[in-house]
Amino acid sequence: MSVDTHKTYFYELKGKHIVIWKLVDTASTDTIGSYRVRLPDSQYKDQLIYPDEAITNGLRFEYTSLNKIFIKEDPESVSTSLLTEDTSPNEDSHVNVNRMRALAIIDYLKATLNEAKGDLQMKEYYMREFYKKLGDSESNMRSISINFPSSPFSVK
Amino acid sequence: MTIQEIMERTGLKDFTLTKAYIKDAIHLIQSTTEDSISKSYSNIVVASDGDDNLYELPTDLISLKSVSVKDTQDSKYKKIRRLTTSPTVAEDSSPST
Repeated sequence: MSVDTHKTYFYELKGKHIVIWKLVDTASTDTIGSYRVRLPDSQYKDQLIYPDEAITNGLRFEYTSLNKIFIKEDPESVSTSLLTEDTSPNEDSHVNVNRMRALAIIDYLKATLNEAKGDLQMKEYYMREFYKKLGDSESNMRSISINFPSSPFSVK
Repeated sequence: MTIQEIMERTGLKDFTLTKAYIKDAIHLIQSTTEDSISKSYSNIVVASDGDDNLYELPTDLISLKSVSVKDTQDSKYKKIRRLTTSPTVAEDSSPST
């Protein structure tokens, strides 16, 4: 039985894989006569070992992906759980992002078009707008605002 | 917002190209922020070979947010930590000992 997995399991990244390690700090013992002895082949002290227990669906990844990019319904009026993916999108398909992010996508497209024309200054301008709108969209979720008092002697 | 509206606002006329650019933009959004989170599960097996503790990352992964292992005592997935340094063993041909 796997217990306290957040303390006993670790991972490391290796290219397209992750490597799972289990931390053990126990030793197998046996009693010989009245003496309890540690078996020579057993693990002892803190050691990282390969997983020694099979767990069905035991590993869970949480990640971002290109999930339902194009949908049939308007994401601003239909609940997220009811959205259906449009596998063969047409011009009437919706992009599965909120309006602020859709505006950011427009800036990204304009940046790409300007880059193709060789206008790097405009490309940089639109990429800045892209990230600005992404930032706005993020801060809309978190509702953090910072206000600074204006100086009474603002005209200098 | 519909693809048509995006095409009108950008002046793009090629639908296939617009779709590709939108995918690129969403890829970039998903790399830097979190628009939608996916979950994927795989079985943990008892290691009997040198590479049995290797697990494939999801094929559609853009940015990894967390890795969890199921605690079978209370049936909860608990986030595990990433090792900052690799163990000294590069390959173990006999993991059971």
